[in-house]
Amino acid sequence: MNIYLPIAEMSANILVFLGMGAAVGFLSGMFGVGGGFLMTPLLIFSGIPPAVAVGTEAAQIVASSVSGALAQYRRNNVDVKMGVVLLVGGIVGAVIGVDLVKLLRQLGQFELFVSLAYVTFLGIIGTLMMIESLNTMRKVAAGRPASMRRPGQHGWIHGLPLKMRFNRSKLYISAIPPLLIGAFVGMLGAIMGVGGGFIMVPAMIYLLRMPTNVVVGTSLFQILFVTAVTTVLHATQNQTVDIVLAMLLMIGGVIGAQFGAVAGEKLRGEQLRFLLAALVLLVCARIGWNLVVEPSDLYSLSHVVGGH
Amino acid sequence: MASDDGQPSGGDRTGGDNAGTSPAGSQPPEADAPAPPRTATAPRRARRLGFDAVTGASALRTTRGIATSVRRHLAELSPAEMARLLRQRNLQFAVGAALVVLIFAVLKGRDLGTWTWFPEPALPVAQAPDGTTTVRERSDGPRAPQGDDDKRGAGQPAPAPDAATPLPAPAPSLFDLSGVTSPEPVPIERVPMSHVENAEQVEADVATRSVAITSNFSGTEIVVFGAVDNSRQSSPEAGIYDIVVVLEGIHTPLVVRRKSNVGGLWINTESLRYASLPSYYAIASTRPLEDIAEPQVLSQHGIGFEHVRIIPAGGTGASGLSSDEIKDFRDSIIRLKRKDGLYVQKDYGVGFIGKALFRTQIGLPANVPVGPFSARIYLFSEGELLSSFTTNVILQREGLEALLHAFAFNYSLLYGLFAVALAVGAGLAASAIFSRSAH
Repeated sequence: MNIYLPIAEMSANILVFLGMGAAVGFLSGMFGVGGGFLMTPLLIFSGIPPAVAVGTEAAQIVASSVSGALAQYRRNNVDVKMGVVLLVGGIVGAVIGVDLVKLLRQLGQFELFVSLAYVTFLGIIGTLMMIESLNTMRKVAAGRPASMRRPGQHGWIHGLPLKMRFNRSKLYISAIPPLLIGAFVGMLGAIMGVGGGFIMVPAMIYLLRMPTNVVVGTSLFQILFVTAVTTVLHATQNQTVDIVLAMLLMIGGVIGAQFGAVAGEKLRGEQLRFLLAALVLLVCARIGWNLVVEPSDLYSLSHVVGGH
Repeated sequence: MASDDGQPSGGDRTGGDNAGTSPAGSQPPEADAPAPPRTATAPRRARRLGFDAVTGASALRTTRGIATSVRRHLAELSPAEMARLLRQRNLQFAVGAALVVLIFAVLKGRDLGTWTWFPEPALPVAQAPDGTTTVRERSDGPRAPQGDDDKRGAGQPAPAPDAATPLPAPAPSLFDLSGVTSPEPVPIERVPMSHVENAEQVEADVATRSVAITSNFSGTEIVVFGAVDNSRQSSPEAGIYDIVVVLEGIHTPLVVRRKSNVGGLWINTESLRYASLPSYYAIASTRPLEDIAEPQVLSQHGIGFEHVRIIPAGGTGASGLSSDEIKDFRDSIIRLKRKDGLYVQKDYGVGFIGKALFRTQIGLPANVPVGPFSARIYLFSEGELLSSFTTNVILQREGLEALLHAFAFNYSLLYGLFAVALAVGAGLAASAIFSRSAH
């Protein structure tokens, strides 16, 4: 059963992409992650042009984050003020990112850049997570309770100007770090086709020291809007959002996520994190492999971008 | 299930779920500054969200918390509650969202259209240096006035009465082809023999002149058939004549890149730009091309992979490459296009059915670039070109495909907003559906 994708300009098997959406949805439901970091590489491996994969994935992240963001918002778990500051940074970052995509496509280095970004970030996050989950497992095995330490309260961040009061997060800090974090994540999201939660959430906890209960809601809030803007920017700047492909992925994704969530409940936190870390490192290794192994054909053809 | 974060939707709850757990629930979020200590929920949620984690991994536990809370929340959603989604704070949320997206999209789409963060590298010519017209001349001139209707009737399976009349050149605007030149075959030299009474002429047509690309397009077959007028063949097997059919897609510019190993990584280093080359090129013949005619003749008419008209972009990109390397780049185009099924050669692809009638079938893969095609049919005998004929095939998007493509390229801002709206709708619909079926 094939369907012709109007933007990717190729015929795709409906079941393959529904299945891909379901598989990634299953994993993201199980681990509670967005899944962009899995979906975008999968799309590229399956022959979707990288730029279309990134643009389309942004639309899919909107779909998968909207219900979560809304739910968190209704629970009052969103620090709207912080979210807006992050969002302002995020939109600036997305604008830069989308332009960077355009530039890199013209230079023919887009794939390289995406691959390097994936290898770097997945490598770092995966390794950290792996170490942490192994440590926790060892502690649990030794019968000691996992530590509940919260890191110290003061750092260089508190010396910056432009201080703002974030009531919901009970913070009084400079607006510069959230702006920068937002911009960085927005830019990465636009280039890598991910929501960026895996960078944003640790940054909010460890750099901004936000209370954990508002971190998830606020990051979802920011991701929802930044990916929405990114989708529009990709559509206007690069014409790389394929609605038909996005629909297939969304449908598969939401179904898979339901089953994944059920499966995730059967595993313990550190086991889940260990598996997720393994998965992240696997994707990282797979992308890295393509960079270091001699390609079967050194030559590649590409359309002239923006050459009209 | 609904025990800890809120009660199943009671009649008059309006969106704010904290009504049950926090006295500040119905205030706008900015207002509940001193965040009254939450009741039993808070510690439990904190634990669930991974409050205790030490490294960046806690983030993932936290995100896992989303799944839990979303799930929990979904369980509470009833259809009646879905209807309340757009009330009060949710409405503010949605309107705010739409405004933010709209403002930035409009700003970006309108004012910044000509402005970029980075200077764009100089773009090479997208036009073929020689031919820039999209109107093609037909090259079967002297044959037409000879009034050979009766002979055609004998040879062809009832083609349209005007089979030999020129198709109108496709209007470029139909295909969004700005900057793209359509096939520009070399005008066929009149072979002297064709003025002689009873000289052989070739006439042909394609079975489907217009191929529609719709949502279920997965490639198609183009049937080209024709007849040799004044054929002296006594039987299809006589082999007096050779037919070569060349089916060529629109000519587009292209960039070829070559990777090399830089510090252990395989990186695109050299690149070569081509101003124009056929996006699709199929060649079918009665025998291998080298048996049909001399290379000079084939080259003159762009027949065969060695003679495809691939025009490098003048001046740009070619610097620093030796002629051998340039040949490697050209070869790589042919090789990669063949791998994708876009360049096709069928040595025995054309068959004579009768003493004059021939037919061939050429496959267009699903990834074929959209646009007008030209089919050129050459009649050879003993290495000499006797006659040629050109006709067109139009390949265009139709129905939903045409709509979406035009939407995406002509109204890209609206398209982007539509994509976001679709995604938001899908997300909300999914929550609603699964909250009902899960419990």
